[in-house]
Amino acid sequence: MTARLIMKLRVAEAVPVTPDVLHLRLVHPSRPELPAWTAGAHVDLRLPDGRVRQYSLCGDPADRGCYELAIKRETDGRGGSAWVHGNLRPDATAHVSAPRNTFPIVPEARRHILVAGGIGVTPLLAMARQLAASGADFALHLCARSAAEAPLLQAARAACGRRLTCWFSAEGRRFDPAVIGEGADGTEIYVCGPQRLMDAVRSALTARGWPEAQIHSEHFAPINDETFKPEPFEARIASTGQVLHVPAERSLLDVLRGAGFAMPSSCELGVCGSCECGYRDGLVIHRDVVLPPAKRQDRLMPCVSRARVAVTLDL
Amino acid sequence: MTGPSNPRMVEAFAHPAGAAAAQVPGGATGWSGTLLHIHIAPAASYEMEALSEGRCVAGRGIEGDRYFLGAGTYSPKPDVREVTLIEQEALDALNRNDPPLQEGGLRLLPADHRRNLTVRGVPLNHLVGRRFRVGEVVLRGGRLNFPCRYLEELLGMPVYLPLYNRSGLNCGIERGGIIRPGDAIELVD
Repeated sequence: MTARLIMKLRVAEAVPVTPDVLHLRLVHPSRPELPAWTAGAHVDLRLPDGRVRQYSLCGDPADRGCYELAIKRETDGRGGSAWVHGNLRPDATAHVSAPRNTFPIVPEARRHILVAGGIGVTPLLAMARQLAASGADFALHLCARSAAEAPLLQAARAACGRRLTCWFSAEGRRFDPAVIGEGADGTEIYVCGPQRLMDAVRSALTARGWPEAQIHSEHFAPINDETFKPEPFEARIASTGQVLHVPAERSLLDVLRGAGFAMPSSCELGVCGSCECGYRDGLVIHRDVVLPPAKRQDRLMPCVSRARVAVTLDL
Repeated sequence: MTGPSNPRMVEAFAHPAGAAAAQVPGGATGWSGTLLHIHIAPAASYEMEALSEGRCVAGRGIEGDRYFLGAGTYSPKPDVREVTLIEQEALDALNRNDPPLQEGGLRLLPADHRRNLTVRGVPLNHLVGRRFRVGEVVLRGGRLNFPCRYLEELLGMPVYLPLYNRSGLNCGIERGGIIRPGDAIELVD
């Protein structure tokens, strides 16, 4: 559970880098340095109506003077990117949280393979910069329809040099996970992009014997399991024995707050990881996209996750 | 941002700490302090913003502050939170790592500690159950402030233990008015 400072940052630059991607440079109006971050981190962007959207930082983690975001206009999205494209011009104010990293580089790895699909390049570009600066062994595979539609291609070339391989489908080159080779100790894979790319890479690599734990991905989109039908359940508070009834139409987070628990939260979509909570027993229906499988045995995200019949919470 | 709601403030001398302290004589007298900085935040978790002038409203707080607006992290919990103060001397002690609770000193800037007023020369721990003046405004000490993990998380700094017992004072506003950095602070009774 992490509370993060929210800052009113100034848009220093807003440059379209492809027809539908806006590259933003944000600075603090009075402080020369922003809170530190590591590659893979994202910030929350707060829209005027209270909605919150997550965007990965794509700049250089060593540069404390600004945050860089690249935001694609999603025509069928939830409205966040349309607001950004319509409103974040130079000198506009953006309400941005301090960064948080749920997609970190594995520090002890010997080799890092980054696979980016379209706008998914943002956290991986920051990783490439950090890895290049530390002299690490890495490669970036960048997938897009064409060079003209590949966001931050120039920046990726500058950061990676010969470590960059481009896969442009308009030129008949589609990324083949086989180029990564067999599972190797000390090699970590980081994938970010459309769900189908992440699924394809994950299934191709696991079929070739790569352990799940060496494949990392991040995904900012709401959960879309429309067939899910919420059922009521009971939540027991371990410290007091209190039992809370969670009706089908309310979230566990909402019920906990109603009972006086101060639970931090941000996206309330199961993507940001803010409201993480421990549990002891019960059959939990995990519906978030942020908790790694290993943590799901005793942690849950009460904003979207529920339980079958009953669960005991470490509160 | 959350609009004005109905913040549930506890009157300072109705708080159990303030009420008990008001019955016990003692505490430092004859001191004279200064208001160094005024800070407010528009909503929970938002960075604090410095003011050159703050309007204090009796029973509410500092105009524009999250606790005035009922939009603070702890607003849902009834408490004494109209104005919070901290001693510059406590921040100086953190900065010199005194007592040595961690590797080195902690530099907590006036915009970072999330109390509204940074003051010098004011024995805040003596002012629970007392009335004191900040410029034209009269405050009532309601209870000692207590460090929270939330602040540690926001700052990414281990301030919880270092701030213990010198975390400042939560006050109610008896008489409202305008305050400015540089205002004199003194005991009323």
